[in-house]
Amino acid sequence: MAGKAAPARNVLFGKYEMGRLLGKGTFAKVYHGRNLMTHDSVAIKVILKDRVKKEGLLEQVRREISVMGLVRHPHIVELKEVMATKSKVYFVMEYVNGGELFVKLSQQGKLTEDGGRKYFQQLLSAVDFCHSRGVSHRDLKPENLLLDENGNLKVSDFGLSALPEQLRIDGLLHTRCGTPAYVAPEVLRKRGYEGAKSDLWSCGVILFVLLAGSLPFKADNVMKLYRKIFKAEFEFPPWFSSEAKEMVSKLLVVDPEKRASMDEIMQSSWFQKGFTKPLSFNDKDELNSEISDLTNPKLLSSSPPFYNAFEFISSMSSGFDLTSLFESKKKQASIFTSKCSASAIIAKLQSLAQKLNFKATNQREFKVRLQAKEEGRKGKLAVTVEVYEVAPELAVVEFSKSAGDTLEYNKFCEKDVRPALKDIVWSWQGENECL
Amino acid sequence: MGCYHSKKPKSPGYEEPTVLAAETPFTVSEVEALYELFKKLSSSIINDGLIHREEFQLALFRNRNMKNLFADRIFDLFDLKRNGVIEFGEFVRSLGIFHPNASIKDKITFAFRLYDLRQTGFIEQEELKEMVLALLHESELILSDDVIETIVEKTFNEADMKGDGKIDEEEWREFVMKYPSLIKNMTLPYLKDITMAFPSFVATTEVEDSDM
Repeated sequence: MAGKAAPARNVLFGKYEMGRLLGKGTFAKVYHGRNLMTHDSVAIKVILKDRVKKEGLLEQVRREISVMGLVRHPHIVELKEVMATKSKVYFVMEYVNGGELFVKLSQQGKLTEDGGRKYFQQLLSAVDFCHSRGVSHRDLKPENLLLDENGNLKVSDFGLSALPEQLRIDGLLHTRCGTPAYVAPEVLRKRGYEGAKSDLWSCGVILFVLLAGSLPFKADNVMKLYRKIFKAEFEFPPWFSSEAKEMVSKLLVVDPEKRASMDEIMQSSWFQKGFTKPLSFNDKDELNSEISDLTNPKLLSSSPPFYNAFEFISSMSSGFDLTSLFESKKKQASIFTSKCSASAIIAKLQSLAQKLNFKATNQREFKVRLQAKEEGRKGKLAVTVEVYEVAPELAVVEFSKSAGDTLEYNKFCEKDVRPALKDIVWSWQGENECL
Repeated sequence: MGCYHSKKPKSPGYEEPTVLAAETPFTVSEVEALYELFKKLSSSIINDGLIHREEFQLALFRNRNMKNLFADRIFDLFDLKRNGVIEFGEFVRSLGIFHPNASIKDKITFAFRLYDLRQTGFIEQEELKEMVLALLHESELILSDDVIETIVEKTFNEADMKGDGKIDEEEWREFVMKYPSLIKNMTLPYLKDITMAFPSFVATTEVEDSDM
């Protein structure tokens, strides 16, 4: 490659073509890349292992990978896969091409209240999602907030984030990290702290910056800066509305115990204005399954669809379900058998929906969609239930999530569905194994 | 580079990730991540770098003594050399069929061999009945003989298009085309995320920069 700026064709593991340099940091360079099979654009972060190892940070890289694998969300930059050689680690990530929110801000000075609120809403839905998975970001600042081509926010850089396993026995984090201007006082004081609460402080600083165009805590030296942060000493510019002031004041509270909670902020009327929850990725799949339903002739009859013996075996047998090789936790069964007739089961599901305040719609005769009336973390939870008949006295009922947050779905199945259906269930898949 | 001589010993059936990656839908890194999983599974009871039947059962059911016809069939098909254990190369090659990018044809064939209990090249009515009985037993479901017979016959007659009393691979393929959900569990979406589920390989990889 004799010193040439752009090598003719640089292919990574036969899968990605490496393109131009997008940016660089202390340990990593980020390149544009293209998946040779799908032609999708990706961003490839190349980390030099020698550098990272010297600082003892290889463990942190491993942790960042685990965390990013956990947090799939429309407002979080997606890590698609990881590759490695002896000298480098490659993160293949979603390519986000609208630049940094920080840059936009420095060009525009400050945002309008509505503009700032939109980013704040997207930021909080991403951070709330992380917290629900037990992950705190711990390095929230405008540089880690990117914009996609539609001007939507994407949170990046989970390099300093922490998983529940990093919590000490007392449940508090003890490593200090982050950039001072955005860092919560309890983090700076090096006391043990709760990552989720500190993230909320940073969100408060970010909201201030979005609406003010400048930092709430500024000083000509670090000591003075710390002092201001410890006292939460800041002033609002005159254009802040009283509601916006209230929002920031609830977040920039020194005592983490007295700081507003995520729920409190998200339920406030200022936050709720024009707020739409991001949709989960599943909706696309749902659309596809609807299309394939129409082309499947066996589903157009009015008697319950027949489940043949092979379908019965392949869906019910836990010995065929290799997903358990990859998970340490036993996963929730989503399919059960029943002695009741298909129509009796459907009637039961409809009364269950009413009891739980879910909307039930018949998608076909023996396929019901239950949709929550209230918004969840990734939009309204929707569950599709299909009833099949193996024999006149043996029906199979299959649950699947068609929209919403997976965690909420699992909770819904365990807490609401299972107890309520107890009297019509014969057996749940993989659960009657005389353990 | 002297430091590379102190490599940890590999499992007995270890094969080079680059070789396995070339033969399967996995990248070299994915093969190395699978090795992390393999090490875990193959040392759960006997620490010898091979997956024994009990270890496989332990991983699937959290119970080493859990006998299950279908798990047995999967184990036997993974055990390509038929020596009673799953080696690393066998593990990767077999899981490759479960990759979302693997060919449908391979998935259909694998499922056919799974159901062809006695490996005669055909699925016979007796075998189908045996599997239905095993499933009912596993799920603690009790049905009358008549009902069981009806379930088996109805399905068998539909799949045995030529009506010669056995399902051959061609008939099986057509049957799957008609009911695509039959090979739903032949695809494991998890395999696409394997590098993020087992990221330790980034520290231990032996892939040279020139290899990629």
